[in-house]
Amino acid sequence: MFTSAARSTPWICRSCATKTSECTKRFQSTSALQFYQNRQLELYASKEAKRLTLRQLVFFGRSMNEERLIQSANYVRTELPVRIAHRIRDLQTLPYVVVTQEGVARVYELYWSAFEKFRRYPEIKTMSDNEAFCTFLQNILEDHATVIPSLSLGLSLSSPYLPPDELDSFMRRMLVSRISRRVLAEHHIALSNHVAGRSALPGEGNVGIIDTTLNVSESIRKCVKFLRERPFDLEDDQVVVQDEDRAWPDVLVEGHLNTKFSYIKEHLEYIVFELLKNSMRATGLKHQDKPVLPPILATIAASTDEIGIRISDQGGGLVIPYITSPSDLFSFSHIRNAARLETSRIGALRTVSSSKHGMKATMNEQMQWWKRRQRDSAPTLRADAPIEDIEMEAGVAPHPRIGIGLPMSNIFARYFGGSLELVSLDGWGTDVYVRLPKLGTNLEGIEL
Amino acid sequence: MSSTLFRCKPVYAFARQRRPFVLHRRPPDPVPSGLAELLEKHSHRPPTPLTLSTLLSLGRPPTPKSVLTSVSYVQAEIPRRLAQRVKSLQELPFIVGTNPFVARILEAHRTSFLWLATQPSVRTLEDNADFISQLETLVQSHANDIPTLARGFQECTRYMSSTQISNFLDGAIRNRIAVRLLAEQHIALSRALNSSEEVMDRIGVVELACSPAHTIKMCGAWVSELCEATLGASPEITLDGDVDATFVYVPVHLEYIATEILKNSFRATVEHHYKHHGMSSRGPIPPVIITVCPSRKLDGRSHIGLRIRDQGGGVSPANMARIFSYAFTTADRSTGREEIGGGPYAAQHVGGGAAVGVGSVGEGNLFEEMTGKGLQVGMGTIAGLGYGLPMSRLYARYFDGSLNLLSLDGWGSDVFVQLRCLDEAGEMEV
Repeated sequence: MFTSAARSTPWICRSCATKTSECTKRFQSTSALQFYQNRQLELYASKEAKRLTLRQLVFFGRSMNEERLIQSANYVRTELPVRIAHRIRDLQTLPYVVVTQEGVARVYELYWSAFEKFRRYPEIKTMSDNEAFCTFLQNILEDHATVIPSLSLGLSLSSPYLPPDELDSFMRRMLVSRISRRVLAEHHIALSNHVAGRSALPGEGNVGIIDTTLNVSESIRKCVKFLRERPFDLEDDQVVVQDEDRAWPDVLVEGHLNTKFSYIKEHLEYIVFELLKNSMRATGLKHQDKPVLPPILATIAASTDEIGIRISDQGGGLVIPYITSPSDLFSFSHIRNAARLETSRIGALRTVSSSKHGMKATMNEQMQWWKRRQRDSAPTLRADAPIEDIEMEAGVAPHPRIGIGLPMSNIFARYFGGSLELVSLDGWGTDVYVRLPKLGTNLEGIEL
Repeated sequence: MSSTLFRCKPVYAFARQRRPFVLHRRPPDPVPSGLAELLEKHSHRPPTPLTLSTLLSLGRPPTPKSVLTSVSYVQAEIPRRLAQRVKSLQELPFIVGTNPFVARILEAHRTSFLWLATQPSVRTLEDNADFISQLETLVQSHANDIPTLARGFQECTRYMSSTQISNFLDGAIRNRIAVRLLAEQHIALSRALNSSEEVMDRIGVVELACSPAHTIKMCGAWVSELCEATLGASPEITLDGDVDATFVYVPVHLEYIATEILKNSFRATVEHHYKHHGMSSRGPIPPVIITVCPSRKLDGRSHIGLRIRDQGGGVSPANMARIFSYAFTTADRSTGREEIGGGPYAAQHVGGGAAVGVGSVGEGNLFEEMTGKGLQVGMGTIAGLGYGLPMSRLYARYFDGSLNLLSLDGWGSDVFVQLRCLDEAGEMEV
């Protein structure tokens, strides 16, 4: 009934010709197969993940040559399946009813498939092997673009079956591990590009995906610029405001403006981007009647061990009926945060998780969405427009509010041992404190 | 003769007999039996439930009947609470109880309790008039309890864990807030009855239109003077948010909280500024920004929120865990400094000692003079005791509020205070 080809054809069950997410028969048979194949998985899962610090990533990346690059490739080749195996085992211990849920089942399949591919991948011995390996990595990364929204969808729908603490800690383990695997893969790809002379060295400070002279105020200003370029568009339960002449609030940057440190620029920018996006939205909603919106204040503070960024807005605070404390906003459980099961939220998650592009949790991805949307709102559609544009046009974009920004920012912040804290001055505004470790000596925060 | 650890009589006796000097140690006297009985009786009385709405209703307006009802509450509740205080002091480890500062507090509480417990019931307004003037003296005599206890516990860190000290002090301070509230409310009501002027804006010690902005400006001015006097400079205060907001609250509580937080912020700001720009810097000192915002929580309860934001350099992560523990302070406490001026904290140290009253009463305690509030709040010094934050939090929490500190290490701190509007807190028990 099942060939390996069937395994790799996504989403259609050969025996009943329905979408695999709806076909339980297929799942039953595959799962029987998987039950007995689990021994391989357990072998990998019994190994410990070799966690790294940021410094180690930089140090290793600085002294790159072909030999070390191949070492790096094999490290990635053997480390990633171990980390994936841990996550699959984690999934396997969740209640049956949860993993067969829409979204979660899809992720489970994806992870199994990735595990198998890595497990079978031969040792890398030459530079051209490495080239092929990088392509392989890139493809896997693309395939897994829908994991975040799928998992969010599935876990939110599973809220009734899991106590909130378990649900949230499971989700955190999954997302942190995912970040860690992407970091390793992308870092290796970037280093390979550099050694192969494919990338012009972007700047003196860059080592792989790490910027060793990351200028915090510059990153903040970049995020502000992108955010303010968006058309003014607010949507809420009661309100829809679209106004071409209105400007998003200004962001004043103060503090230790020359702060530079070693970090993954994409991570920092995602966090700042999401927080500023929230602040701007809240400010816009709260002060609809004002001609000019009150500014947002971003403060940068560098101390011995950490970099602190405080984003302070006048958006009215977090007076939200369905949560009891600000940290509930990080929860995926509807018991802590009832918005997780709101129809519009679930709908939006479904949309994003079934789209080709998925969601990778980067700032650039969101800017591209907006730019596409701007283009697509042009009155005439060019007949020769590439297929993806038409797909997007077919009613999916605008980037729907899926409620991932805060939980993801929290996880990014904690990845190397930092933190994210929300405080509300009810009626006035919200202050968010981001703390990121400065010295790069903390191990990755993945749980084994 | 201020308290000494050893009684002197045996020494004199022996000296007269020209025997070699031998000091006999005598254990302190046991609890007098009459006192012990009274303590048991009062500490075991069932509490007379007293809600805020009852308390306030007695003053709206004060009448002879309501004043006499009020005194009956006072005579029932205050001895009971004082009995609890005395008992918990007596239950401290023996060695702690022999510390002169702790012993002084125990003695003072015993005396107060005895007096109250042996008072006949007040039944007439004339008797009440006598009663309140003595009650007032009693409250005044306890004005420096907390600094005294603080001093005592500082010396006892070897004998009690910081959790034990914390728990004891939490209970003591909460109890003290309650006793003062009851006493001062009754005194204020009695006075209001006698005074000819109609007081529309308060009910005893509760003000109906307490303005956070006004309180902060007032406390700010006082702290500013203190700061200039000890550190040579002080930051400005900027107020924003809903500056005209008012609410129903006990102003002295708000004043205490505001003063302590401003003291911390001002000191940190000036020190941080000097550290980074040098002692003779004339550059502008960053202001302390206070935002006032009323809000209605989801359960319908109205609050006033305050955020006090400074650029005082923040709190390091290592210290964050300890800032709410008693006697944690970053002020320099070296006591043996002989240098000229003794550094910025010489005044503190002297003042601290003076506030505690190491000399006898009436020696012109520096800070009792500066206080001017005498009865209700012992201002202490700008730094050094380390009690400001935990006590402010207790005051904030007393009426179901909250106090929180967040920090950007290397830049500054934000203190968030939420206080409930008391007109909607009728069901709260005092």
